[in-house]
Amino acid sequence: MHPATPAPADEPTQHHGSLPAGGLNRRHLLRLLAGTAIAVPAAGLLAACGGEEEPAVDPNAPVTVAFFWWGGEARAKLTEEALKLYTSKHPNVTITPTWQAFTGYYDKLATISAGGNAPDIFQIDDNGLAEYAGRNVTLDLSKYTANKKIDVSKHPESLTKYGQLGGKQVAIATGENTPAIIYDKTKLTELGIEVPQIGWTYDQMITWGAGVTTKAGGKYWGLMDPSSDYKALWLWLRAQGKEFYDGPKIAFSEADLVAWFQLWVDARTKGATPPADVCHEAVTGSVATQLVVTKKAAVSFMWSNQLSEMQKATKNDLGMTAYPGDPKGQWARASTYWAASRTTKAPDVVADIINFLVNDVEAGKILGVDRGLPNNLDVRKAVSDALTDQKMKDTVAFENEITPKFGPAPAPPPKGHSGLRNTLRDIAETVSYGKATPEAAAKQFFTEAAAALA
Amino acid sequence: MALTTASRPALPVPAATPPPARGRRKKNYAARRSEGLAGYVFLSPWLIGLMAITAFPMLLSLYLSFTNYDVLSSWEFVEWVGFDNYEKIFTLDPTFWQSVRVTLTFGLIAIPLKLVASLGVALLLNRERRGVGLFRSMFYLPSLLGGSVALALVWVAMFNGEGAFNAGLSIFGIEGKNWINDPDWALATLMVLTIWQFGAPMVIFLAGLKQVPTELYEAAQVDGASKYKQFFHITLPMLSPVIFFNLLLETINGFQGFTSAFVISNGTGGPLGATKLYTLHIYDKAFTDFEMGYASALAWIFLAAIGLITIVFFSTGKFWVHYSDGEN
Repeated sequence: MHPATPAPADEPTQHHGSLPAGGLNRRHLLRLLAGTAIAVPAAGLLAACGGEEEPAVDPNAPVTVAFFWWGGEARAKLTEEALKLYTSKHPNVTITPTWQAFTGYYDKLATISAGGNAPDIFQIDDNGLAEYAGRNVTLDLSKYTANKKIDVSKHPESLTKYGQLGGKQVAIATGENTPAIIYDKTKLTELGIEVPQIGWTYDQMITWGAGVTTKAGGKYWGLMDPSSDYKALWLWLRAQGKEFYDGPKIAFSEADLVAWFQLWVDARTKGATPPADVCHEAVTGSVATQLVVTKKAAVSFMWSNQLSEMQKATKNDLGMTAYPGDPKGQWARASTYWAASRTTKAPDVVADIINFLVNDVEAGKILGVDRGLPNNLDVRKAVSDALTDQKMKDTVAFENEITPKFGPAPAPPPKGHSGLRNTLRDIAETVSYGKATPEAAAKQFFTEAAAALA
Repeated sequence: MALTTASRPALPVPAATPPPARGRRKKNYAARRSEGLAGYVFLSPWLIGLMAITAFPMLLSLYLSFTNYDVLSSWEFVEWVGFDNYEKIFTLDPTFWQSVRVTLTFGLIAIPLKLVASLGVALLLNRERRGVGLFRSMFYLPSLLGGSVALALVWVAMFNGEGAFNAGLSIFGIEGKNWINDPDWALATLMVLTIWQFGAPMVIFLAGLKQVPTELYEAAQVDGASKYKQFFHITLPMLSPVIFFNLLLETINGFQGFTSAFVISNGTGGPLGATKLYTLHIYDKAFTDFEMGYASALAWIFLAAIGLITIVFFSTGKFWVHYSDGEN
């Protein structure tokens, strides 16, 4: 660089405007290039990290707690209201709530957690729990559940266990939900077809779906193709007494996966499910793109607590029931959890806030069943009685109906699960798009799974 | 030169000049040094920014590419793994090769087409006509929206099965495909989006076209050269430095594309990995699998590849880029 040469301050913008008089020469060109950043942002971006300030405190001094969750506008309102109720009772505690849509939530959580600065309390689900707990980001809450600072005595034991990993209580369930199929009642009534029932076999369901497609005259299909959905596969395995994971390993066999893929190849041949390109629109699971919402299928494979949200996206009346197969494949799953950061400066306060959110009746009434049915059975009763949203009432009725039929809860999915479910999604699609046979796809899955879970 | 010097008898004889000249040079040097220092002081905000925001994270990511860093674990668990990440990328990662294939296909088709489109429109808009300013703005408009998420979402709405594009086709009795969800067409849809945003190179081409001296065209006309010949023998050679500049920038930008592919495929790079650009693979490794060390290695391979392409451009440039000042 030549220090005495004055560099025009507006150099980087020059390429949008005028060029040096008399045409370009090599020196101009080089200067233009120098003024335009040509570094790869990805390389820099990857090492960037963020942090959140947490002031140090003693027990009675003012405490600030960072609180982070994902969800929509409605959930934000409920959560903020519940947190306000807490701070009004504990004036020394200030809670700084931050929330955002699910898309990008885990990226942001990962970035602010990098280097050990996770928010004091954050929402997490079973897809991410093992990633965070396994890397020691979460605070071990066992001490608080033992001394009843977080009282789990009124919680179903299976839900409490679903927050334990490696013998530690790494998170507390925010509520209970179950996989559930959501169907378009309006359409089925129009066609004069009975609605699906708990306990149907997969064959029944697929024959029923093919019937819907035929009766609808090809305007829409009977079922979404769930072959790429890990939870559908998981339930299908459990209904046969098998499991998805055994500790950190895959518990099912290649033959199982071939049978699963074949099941849905046959369903598509019978016309029960749409072609792959239509299913692909809904494959990420986001409510807005589900085929029931876009009116391309009568059935979507969802979670029980999504009924109310999904109903808001369509004018047709929606109903809900269990996935096909023996309902013992279902279990009381934590819809999401509250987890705390290991680096929090105020672990006692954090535990108290979590306890308040899961056990306080008033807080429970504010939060409703937005994050699933409340864990605390007393709160659940009070909340159910006070509900006004019809679809939330349906969710409660469904959960109450299926709860006695539950099988035992498995352990939360292991580290590497979030990548593996994408692997399953991508490989299942090679079958549905007709680019691979079930046998070849299953083989490929096990090859990649071995690398992902290693 | 020699002649000019000789015709100036007033100049001091050469023998007398060295001592004062040396002194002057010294003084000059000191003055220049302090001037230079002042320059650096004025540059310092930018320099500090460069160091803290660009250079440091880049070097850190280079270091991380040789480690097993996973974002979430604390630093004491970061282990040096040597070239393991790089070895795994080339030997055990089918998605890497898939993403290289997709990125190269994307780049080799979309970038030349974008340049041709922008040059073509620039030629049309170079004529002084009534309202040409309005047209220039209109053609630039898509670029203002840039790599925005909103635009990618519009693309999804336009090119899905029931989108506006298929509605348009159906007027002509053509049944369209589910473009963005068809593994054979998804990448093409993405390319169209990229090519459509040709405003920035177009403006640069326009500015370049204005620089071509009109005498050349006049002379060519007098000699009876056709428009076609004028284009290939005057416009293109005179424009070659601008073409070179645009080619370089569009290549670099094109390979770094991320947002539209990410949004259109919902972060999956699907269907069937058809839109799995290299950048999406880096993202997946870093934020889904938490293999940040591995992702850093991917990013550095990417940087090296782009650097290599740039070098190839520069070294071949001398065969086809004509600079007006006759340096070459």
